[in-house]
Amino acid sequence: MKRGPMMQRKVRLCLLSLCWLVALGAFPVMAGAETLAWVGGTVHPVSSEAIDGATVVVEDGKITAVGRGVAVPAGATVIDTAGKHLYPGFIHPASTLGLVEINSVRGTIDSHEIADVNAALRAEVAFNADSVLLPPAMAGGVLTTHVVPRGGVFAGTSAVMALRGWNWQEMTLTTPVGMHLNYPQLLPSEGEVSEEEEEEEREKALRLINDTLDAAEVYRQARDAVALGAPTIAFDADAEALLPVLDGTLPLFIWATEKSQIEGALDWVAERQLENIVLVTGADAQYVAERLAEEDVPVILAGVLSLPDRRWEPYDSSYVAASRLHAAGVQFCISDSRRGGGAANARNLPFHAAMAAAFGLPRDVALRSVTLSVAEILGVEDRLGSIEVGKDATLMLTNGDPLEILSRVERVWIGGREVDLSADHQRRLYDKYQHRPRPEKAVAKPGAR
Amino acid sequence: MKNGWCIAMALVCGLTTPGWATTGDPDGWKNTQPEAAENLLIRGATLWTSGPEGRLEATDIWISNGVIRAIGKDLAVPDDAQVIDGEGKHVTPGLIDAHSHSALIGGTNEATNIVTAEVRIGDVVNSESVQIYRQLAGGVTTINLLHGSANSIGGQNAVIKLRWGAGPDGLMFEGAPQGVKFALGENPKQSNWGDDEKRFPQTRQGVEQSIRQSFLAAQDYRRRWQEYEAAVAAAAATKGRRRGAKPASTVVPPRRDLQLEAVVEILDGSRWIHAHSYRADEILMLLRLAETFGIRVASFQHVLEGYKVADELAAHGAGASTFSDWWAFKYEVVDAIPYNGAIMWDRDVLVSFNSDSSELARRLNLEAAKAVRYGGVPQEEALKFVTLNPAKQLGIDRWVGSLEVGKHADLALWNGHPLSTYSLCEKTWVDGRLYFDRQADLISRQALAEERQALMDEVRSLEESDDEAAEGDSEDGADGEPAEEVGTDGPPPQASYLRWQDSHDAYCWSAEDGEAVHAGHQHSSSQHGRRGERR
Repeated sequence: MKRGPMMQRKVRLCLLSLCWLVALGAFPVMAGAETLAWVGGTVHPVSSEAIDGATVVVEDGKITAVGRGVAVPAGATVIDTAGKHLYPGFIHPASTLGLVEINSVRGTIDSHEIADVNAALRAEVAFNADSVLLPPAMAGGVLTTHVVPRGGVFAGTSAVMALRGWNWQEMTLTTPVGMHLNYPQLLPSEGEVSEEEEEEEREKALRLINDTLDAAEVYRQARDAVALGAPTIAFDADAEALLPVLDGTLPLFIWATEKSQIEGALDWVAERQLENIVLVTGADAQYVAERLAEEDVPVILAGVLSLPDRRWEPYDSSYVAASRLHAAGVQFCISDSRRGGGAANARNLPFHAAMAAAFGLPRDVALRSVTLSVAEILGVEDRLGSIEVGKDATLMLTNGDPLEILSRVERVWIGGREVDLSADHQRRLYDKYQHRPRPEKAVAKPGAR
Repeated sequence: MKNGWCIAMALVCGLTTPGWATTGDPDGWKNTQPEAAENLLIRGATLWTSGPEGRLEATDIWISNGVIRAIGKDLAVPDDAQVIDGEGKHVTPGLIDAHSHSALIGGTNEATNIVTAEVRIGDVVNSESVQIYRQLAGGVTTINLLHGSANSIGGQNAVIKLRWGAGPDGLMFEGAPQGVKFALGENPKQSNWGDDEKRFPQTRQGVEQSIRQSFLAAQDYRRRWQEYEAAVAAAAATKGRRRGAKPASTVVPPRRDLQLEAVVEILDGSRWIHAHSYRADEILMLLRLAETFGIRVASFQHVLEGYKVADELAAHGAGASTFSDWWAFKYEVVDAIPYNGAIMWDRDVLVSFNSDSSELARRLNLEAAKAVRYGGVPQEEALKFVTLNPAKQLGIDRWVGSLEVGKHADLALWNGHPLSTYSLCEKTWVDGRLYFDRQADLISRQALAEERQALMDEVRSLEESDDEAAEGDSEDGADGEPAEEVGTDGPPPQASYLRWQDSHDAYCWSAEDGEAVHAGHQHSSSQHGRRGERR
């Protein structure tokens, strides 16, 4: 059938608007749409030494070639990176991005559930794909995040999310990544609650943790018995969620910041013979570094940019923690907030790593601690964290070392798709007010001294 | 750094045992004021002057008896001058934080009335706050201690120099203009305080009226005093000329009102306004209100929507002391952008970056770097955001804020580019006195650790003997772990654990952690935070 002119115009219009939408970045995840080649700049694979004048080829959103003298496939879109630097995107090791919009507005907070045992929760289902906090994070090179639930004792399961996509489902790269346990504080906190009450609460919390896991074990036995013909039992979503933790197939992320809390948690892990744990902690980890190394506990070190916890500690105690962990041989990565709530300024993640570098952590390890080391600890190193063949093309192009505030992230790609960094709320306001007409002449300053 | 802990220990030990002196020097905890170098030369460093000379490569700076004596190449100094090789190093003016609550003994917020101009932050300065030392270690030398933000007209400020070891009076910045904290928006209208605390005002309209009313009352108060003084003068003038004239002593003075007295000083321009603010509407409101009364707002603090009214701020002559990149921690900062500083700077507003946080205060140089990152402010201009510009906003730029001959020798020595994330501060001088020296700090750590250990051992042995006397009442012992397990690099028993002690007034809701933190008014956020986490 022959198309009429009207039809042709419609097609043309459609194509035009399609181009327009693509140009606007309206199709965030349409991996595989084109073959890309970054040519000419310095590539920093992280997994190996930087390569000057290198080429990176991406097909179907995956890296297919990296190196000097790599042939650019015919028809590839070439991105000239001469004088620029290509890095893997930063991975936030534990944030509430997408779960929290404005901390003071209760209705915008989806990070903390109210019960003690929230094991069945899945963080990704509450992830707001259009959160205004996401674009500034991407503009800072944070292109993926481990999004964590934070409420209660067992907080629920976490997921690794791309910061761009049409909806949470598309943005979810891996789930569940781990179960999150807020280990009880073992030391009394000053304040309105008496030491006895706190002690009681502490014991209660520990009992709760153990009882919950024991109950899950019993649930499993009952469930297995059902398969053998025993009477049906009620489905227990929390217990179901905890079984992989007991099996060691799902990592248990234990949040414990203070030294005795960390030690208590490690003792508890040994007692329960848990095999697969990750410690989310703060600077006190340096006091337990040898043990963490010995017991092969991966660590998410949060809050390099924090005050020392105690008055007597050296002023740089939070700054040096990472280098102490590194020296002791602990597997670690770096996060920003100790409580996982630092969503709005997730973009400052690399500067935590940089401060650790200023205070003794080798620079390449610092860069790794917010890229490949994060991927390894989260179990997504097959897809993220470095520029290697087979990994996602989740990359940033910078004009210098991305751990330097003075450098700038110029362009970013998630899964081989470029993200338009000029379209976010902050950039729009910048453009708008930058172009506000200037006053003709200065008005006399009233009351000027 | 060791003050508080050791004082506490010294008190415990001193009261209970005569043998305590064997564990250390009884005066050891007292910091002696470092000597002001008679002549000190830093040779061949990169000087970021923040003054007319800009950045000077491979240049000498000579400080003498607390002031900068000369800047130039190959300076000839007396033979006995102390010389520091500055090759490869950078020198900046001591950094200045225009918004701090760091060294206070609580009491940041007199949160009761909407106007509390009578209270003085100078009365609650904590000269022993370790934050002073920690900030010196970040190159900071002067901070503006401000009252909280619970009131439209809050308390009086105190500008201090970080003379670590001096008493509260010794910290005061001599000659700094007196100031007062104003606050607009969510905090004075109690938006985040919960439903049980309601006080006028609850709206931004109410905030405006509360300030206007106070100004009007102060005008009236000033007039009554003027009338009284005129009456006294008239009585004195007529005395002796006319028998039976009313003697001056019978003219009744108005009752003194400390609050209105402070507000009169504001109206007279002798007390500078530093106004906590976020939204463009409220910034514009205060500009116009101040202009109605013929006064100038010295600085808007936070001023996160300042970029929307930059021309108005510049025309008024108000300074803007903002955060580099904080946003989205409460509703009134949804439009905060990291380009705020750059836009305002571009439109001739006097811009500074402040901390409002004891943590952030330790890396103000890196905050300044964000003005380069976001909006491309030239590096030397960006550094002024934390040196000369806050000095101007506080009215102390004739003494500090730049490396210029004759100014106070307040400076920081960096091991690299001061805006680089990889650099760190090596030495900090205030009035030519070396208050922070990283090398000395590193060396002293072992001795401090040993001293702490010795003191703790002493206390433990006392407790053990006490416990024996009390027969098994050991549950209440101060420490939960045996002494031998406390290594010199491990934490001490719980007695010294510090809690969250920052008071960020911007942080009614903490940007970091979603935890409600209101200066002088702290909630443990039951709906978001788990109790048991340290606040």
